[in-house]
Amino acid sequence: MSAKRRQRTPNGKKTPVTTDLNATYTPPPTAAKSPQGPESAKKAKLTAIYAALNSDPVDVAALRKLAISRGGLLTDEIRRKAWPKLLNVNVFDPPPKLKMPIEEHRDYNQVVLDVNRSLKRFPPGMQDEQREVLQDQLVDVIVRVLINNDQLHYYQGYHDIVVTFLLVVGKEKSFSLVDKLSTHHLRDFMDRTMDRTKHMLNYLLPIIRKANPKLHDFMERSEVGYVFALAWLITWYGHVLNDFHSILRLYDFFLACHPLMPVYLAAAIVLEREADVLAVECDMAFVHSLLSRIPDNLPMEELVIKAGDLFVQYPPHEMAKEAQLQYNKSSAITKHKELEGNLRGQRPDTVLRRLQGQAGGQAQAGSKQSNRVVKVAVWAISAGIGAAALAVLNSAMEFWV
Amino acid sequence: MEPGKEQANGRGATDPNDKNRRIFKIIVIGDSNVGKTCLTYRFCGGEFPEKTEATIGVDFREKNVTIEGETVKINPIIKWHLSLVCLPLQLQLWDTAGQERFRKSMVQHYYRNVHAVIFVYDVTKMSTFESLPTWIDECDRHSLSPDTPRVLVGNKCDMADRKVVTSGIAQKFSDANNMPFFETAAKLEEEGDKINNVFMTLAHKLRDHKSMMPPPFDEADSRDSRGKSIKLRPNKAELDGDDDQPSDSSCAC
Ligand SMILES: Nc1nc2c(ncn2[C@@H]2O[C@H](COP(=O)(O)OP(=O)(O)OP(=O)(O)O)[C@@H](O)[C@H]2O)c(=O)[nH]1
Ligand SMILES: [Mg+2]
Repeated sequence: MSAKRRQRTPNGKKTPVTTDLNATYTPPPTAAKSPQGPESAKKAKLTAIYAALNSDPVDVAALRKLAISRGGLLTDEIRRKAWPKLLNVNVFDPPPKLKMPIEEHRDYNQVVLDVNRSLKRFPPGMQDEQREVLQDQLVDVIVRVLINNDQLHYYQGYHDIVVTFLLVVGKEKSFSLVDKLSTHHLRDFMDRTMDRTKHMLNYLLPIIRKANPKLHDFMERSEVGYVFALAWLITWYGHVLNDFHSILRLYDFFLACHPLMPVYLAAAIVLEREADVLAVECDMAFVHSLLSRIPDNLPMEELVIKAGDLFVQYPPHEMAKEAQLQYNKSSAITKHKELEGNLRGQRPDTVLRRLQGQAGGQAQAGSKQSNRVVKVAVWAISAGIGAAALAVLNSAMEFWV
Repeated sequence: MEPGKEQANGRGATDPNDKNRRIFKIIVIGDSNVGKTCLTYRFCGGEFPEKTEATIGVDFREKNVTIEGETVKINPIIKWHLSLVCLPLQLQLWDTAGQERFRKSMVQHYYRNVHAVIFVYDVTKMSTFESLPTWIDECDRHSLSPDTPRVLVGNKCDMADRKVVTSGIAQKFSDANNMPFFETAAKLEEEGDKINNVFMTLAHKLRDHKSMMPPPFDEADSRDSRGKSIKLRPNKAELDGDDDQPSDSSCAC
């Protein structure tokens, strides 16, 4: 069965259009509050980010902290530099050779159907031709990653994640980032079945129970389950938030964190909406309907902090014990530990580019493992730091840096 | 199946605060991209969504309607009698994701307590028609009673030149499976009534359905009850953010 790639003009000709999206689309800067005034705080944060990026080896611990703290990584230019470091990806590595034409991949048809319907994910003002070029690229990136990792299966919603990377870092870099992400944070979603996705969602209600037993009790009685949060988790909120900016800010956060962080954010969102939830009839339909729609005006920065609080207070391994979940069942989680170990010792881009020019391009140059891991910065990933660090974290989060 | 005359009232909404409206839960299933989201969206009062997206998991939509029906009235002298009135109904639609991985694990929860099923296929794509037996099995596996009302919908009829599933073969299939059959085009403006018919046919089947029929007089809820299998819902709060709700709240009977 051969699916048409995309419905094009009758002659099927592709319009040559500039594909450098970044030249035409720059999201407005995030507004921020800070005691010193937003501008100077932002400047200070920018300086800190560049310092982390340019130190050799790259100060990943600081970068993570900056990605988590208020406003995230601030600009797309920074994201293009920092996201690869957060994932330990060397964007100067040449992409692997394709093992088959993309049209022959088993998930190709579904990918095309979904990408064709993804118009909402592109900036509203964008020209059709430009969008179509990007949609073609989106199909391309997705299927190339799938071909490169035969064990991965496409799911509806994966395209919502990949489009975010495509819009920010462009086609080539998004391949390497998504390739890595798919074998780590997103790994459990990409099994043949959704059993391990369910497993991750199984953390949601127990977290809510810990934080607010009354709300939990109501939700349990309504039999709402957790499917309302499915799209949140497996698209990293890309499918459900209207504001592209908030999505990027959350991606900064999630890239710096444990793979379960999107579930903690889901808990934070539900807790935030307690009053709304308790006001509807205690019935699956009404609670599902209310929760599945995320209002535009939620205080996202506060929710990020709240999610971090929840993570520190009720870390995954403890929740797992309590909810009788098998913590290590998730390969997103076990792979994350591995990624953790490899994050340090990355070279700054200036060095990588130079090395790439030289024979062999030994990107993973050995490094003296620095002890620069600031504990507070990694609160989100090393669960064991306890409540004492929480206070520090909270005050740190009030500021840009 | 010929729709009854009161189906023209399908667009008429009931008073959302009517405490006595009954709730029917309907699940909409079928392969990915056949138009389930577009159909439910249109029925619930929206126009054809130009920017529909793949459904992830399950989406919920609802619409309040009225149908003509008999109801139990309390009469102080003869205790009770049947009379013809407008029955306020709320149709709750569960719009499910078509991709196999979702149906296998995420959608199960939503088969519980459903009153009716809508099967959708795409008339321009044979594989979506050929999947129908799998979808029917799926329902059976979720132990829906065999007499749960079902309808079959062939969508995208506007693309006549690309139609590959003929009306004849689909009709035969629906007869064999004992369900009414409709062909629709969610995309066409003028198809609104037809789309309404699909849902209103179900509403009527539900009204007439044996298991929906209570004993004529129910002590527990003596004002206007049709029995226990249907939940009466006091409407505490209107649902937040559901802009699909029709604003017209007059009874059209
Ligand atoms: N020509 C035509 N296109 C339609 C019609 N109904 C839906 N479509 C298109 O078909 C595509 C799929 O529609 P959806 O409603 O998203 O399909 P779905 O069944 O909900 O798909 P999943 O959510 O993936 O299960 C969209 O691009 C619609 O624009 C129709 O009646 N005619
Ligand atoms: Mg859909």
